[in-house]
Amino acid sequence: MSKPAMVERDLLVFSIWAVLGLGGLALLLEGFSRDSYLVSLAGTAALVAAFVAHMVVNAVFDCGFRPGEAALGISAFGALALAFIGGWAVGGLSPADYLSGLTLLATLAFGLPAYLATRYGLRGAFSRFHVRHADDGKPAA
Amino acid sequence: MTGIAYSIWLPLFALLYGAVMLYWVRVAANEAAAGDGFFSASHALAPWISALVIAGASMSGWFVLAGSQQIAAQGFQMPALIVGGVLLALPGTLFFKRLWFVAERMRVSSQAEVFRVYYHSPFLVAASVAVALLFAIGFAGLQIRAISEFAELMTGGAVSRLTASVVLGFLLFAGTGIGGMRAIGYFGVVQTVLAFAAIVVLSGFAVIWSGGFAALNSGLLQLSATEGSAGLFSVSGVIRFTAGLGRGGELVEANTALANLSFAFALMGFQASPLVLKLVFSTRSPNGIAAGQTWVTAGFFGAIIAFCIALTGAAGLANEDLGLAGILGSLQSNSPWFAAWIFIGVAAGVQLLAGLALFAAGEGLIRHIYRPYFNSRLSKRGAITLTRIAIAVLAVVAMVMENLTPVTLSALAALALPMAFQLWTPLLGVTWLSWITRPAAVTGVGFGFAGVLLTEPLGYQVLSFFGLELPWGRWPWTIHSALWGMAANVAAVLIISAITNRDALGAEAREVRKLFSGRLAVSDKARTLTSIAWSVTLAWFFLAVGPGLIFGNAAFVATGEAGPVWLLGMPSIWAWSLAGWICGVGLIWFLSYKMEMASPAHVAIPPYEPPLRLTRDKTAQEQERLRTLVLTGAIGFVLAVLLAFSFGG
Repeated sequence: MSKPAMVERDLLVFSIWAVLGLGGLALLLEGFSRDSYLVSLAGTAALVAAFVAHMVVNAVFDCGFRPGEAALGISAFGALALAFIGGWAVGGLSPADYLSGLTLLATLAFGLPAYLATRYGLRGAFSRFHVRHADDGKPAA
Repeated sequence: MTGIAYSIWLPLFALLYGAVMLYWVRVAANEAAAGDGFFSASHALAPWISALVIAGASMSGWFVLAGSQQIAAQGFQMPALIVGGVLLALPGTLFFKRLWFVAERMRVSSQAEVFRVYYHSPFLVAASVAVALLFAIGFAGLQIRAISEFAELMTGGAVSRLTASVVLGFLLFAGTGIGGMRAIGYFGVVQTVLAFAAIVVLSGFAVIWSGGFAALNSGLLQLSATEGSAGLFSVSGVIRFTAGLGRGGELVEANTALANLSFAFALMGFQASPLVLKLVFSTRSPNGIAAGQTWVTAGFFGAIIAFCIALTGAAGLANEDLGLAGILGSLQSNSPWFAAWIFIGVAAGVQLLAGLALFAAGEGLIRHIYRPYFNSRLSKRGAITLTRIAIAVLAVVAMVMENLTPVTLSALAALALPMAFQLWTPLLGVTWLSWITRPAAVTGVGFGFAGVLLTEPLGYQVLSFFGLELPWGRWPWTIHSALWGMAANVAAVLIISAITNRDALGAEAREVRKLFSGRLAVSDKARTLTSIAWSVTLAWFFLAVGPGLIFGNAAFVATGEAGPVWLLGMPSIWAWSLAGWICGVGLIWFLSYKMEMASPAHVAIPPYEPPLRLTRDKTAQEQERLRTLVLTGAIGFVLAVLLAFSFGG
């Protein structure tokens, strides 16, 4: 990908997350704050929309997630999971919060294989994790 | 949640915003290090980036800060505001395409340079730089002051207005001074979408807290029935022959149809300013102009103004607690994450405009004034360094004025749009009206500036300081200074063009004329539509922002048993303006595509090769010029002091 194209792709990604990502985060927090599952669900939907839009941009520019983006995404997922477990451990979660958190984490956890499947196909997605050894598939000497 | 948990969101979002900004500054600086392009992004910005950033800068935060508050305070007496998207897009439709080709042919990258190569006029160059300075210090400074006040409000005074304006000033310098035009273009995209999201979410809260759209309008209807409030929902006549605000003219009676029309002209100054043209000239192709002006600026952002800004203002009108400050204050107490997001979005819009203005002003001072007239041996790297210094100095000046001299700042801000509108005549001379001669353009702008100054507070306060009391105040006859200036401007242009030699063009101007009559000539099909274009444009102006607004007062009102009924469930004049906006988008589409004013053109334009001339050492001449300037300044200052001492109060 040429440098100008990469800049344009990055601009679109930043813009998507500035609107849908921050909006989703604000809705999630609003949902947790008001104990409203529906508002949290809207936040989760916004985050999913951001992921989908990000993937559409990737497809348009014929590229995948950049290493930095993947690292940031996984870290954010880890931080969210940790905060959820922490909240559950100290008993600070209401039933609506609990359901909201589970929905978010489940959606995000489902998102990774779904992304890999759409990008590489089911078999290709499996191959991303299945490391073949050098002697695999070779006839015995 | 605890108080700390609530107060953490604004700094957190601000930190994130700063980090993203620095990232894009770094990207821009790295690209600049590879080649050049500090001043023009190497003319390589993608058309969609320019379209979006132009729309964002055109609307920026000032429609939220000023527009919604004006509706909240004065109601729908200025419906020209609601069709602002169309008014902002119109000059770009008219000028951008042709100016882009002029810049491409002449290899220039700013409005001042276009004036220099076409008219060979130092006055027009200085006028362009002066307008950029007004935007940088006055117009943007006033908005930074407003946003700093909101920062103080939202942090409960923990962050003072002064601190907020210093931080914003630093961010401005970091964004524009280091990264240059590329950083403005790149980060401008993020700023624009942030601003757009903030305005939509803000209006969403305004509507929800008003109890929904129907409840909001029922509140407005109730308000219109109270004594003395009916005027908030109508345009008060075509014109009033008052002496102007401050001289017996009352603000409540000032919002006539002609006030709307002349205010519309002021809005049309923005895209004729050197700020927006910087973006246009930094674009790699003109093929996105039509789509950008029609669908992004007039369509999408026009809709945001017509609906979201109007809704936010209407909520404040129906319930004082739902003014901008009220909504942000309540959000900060109940949903600080939304408050932070909205605040950062509005601040991003303001920063986009302020950064662009600072950049255009800094570049103008160094590249268009200092370098060509006082130090032609200044290297390119030296010019960049000096421009960065100029930007820093201007940011500091603006910051100081925001905090110490808000009245002067406000007076300067009021000049920016009407003065930018006066640049229409020289721009028309370059692009469409080849009969406008150099002396006519120069005199026209001079008269236009004088007309604006004499009908704005800065002008009559300065004259009053010297002992000359004008018999009129601000906007006499309820006509905005933009129109007073343009009346003087057009009169001078017509008279002087008629009596001066129209063929006395420079070689570059002849090249431009050749370009427009050759490769870029308007097709026969478009020519046949000229009379229709004039008719629909004039009709639109008459009905949407002119005297025809009077029809809008009662167009959608019926008389019921219990009093007037709004047929569309909203104030008649608001509905009229929405219709005006929809028709306006059609008008922009027609002018852009059918009249080919901004339509894509796939024409290769080779750079103009000027005839070879012997280069002379201008050092002595430049030193003499500098000496003259200093002497003139000193004599002028002494004379001013003497005059003020003799006649001033």
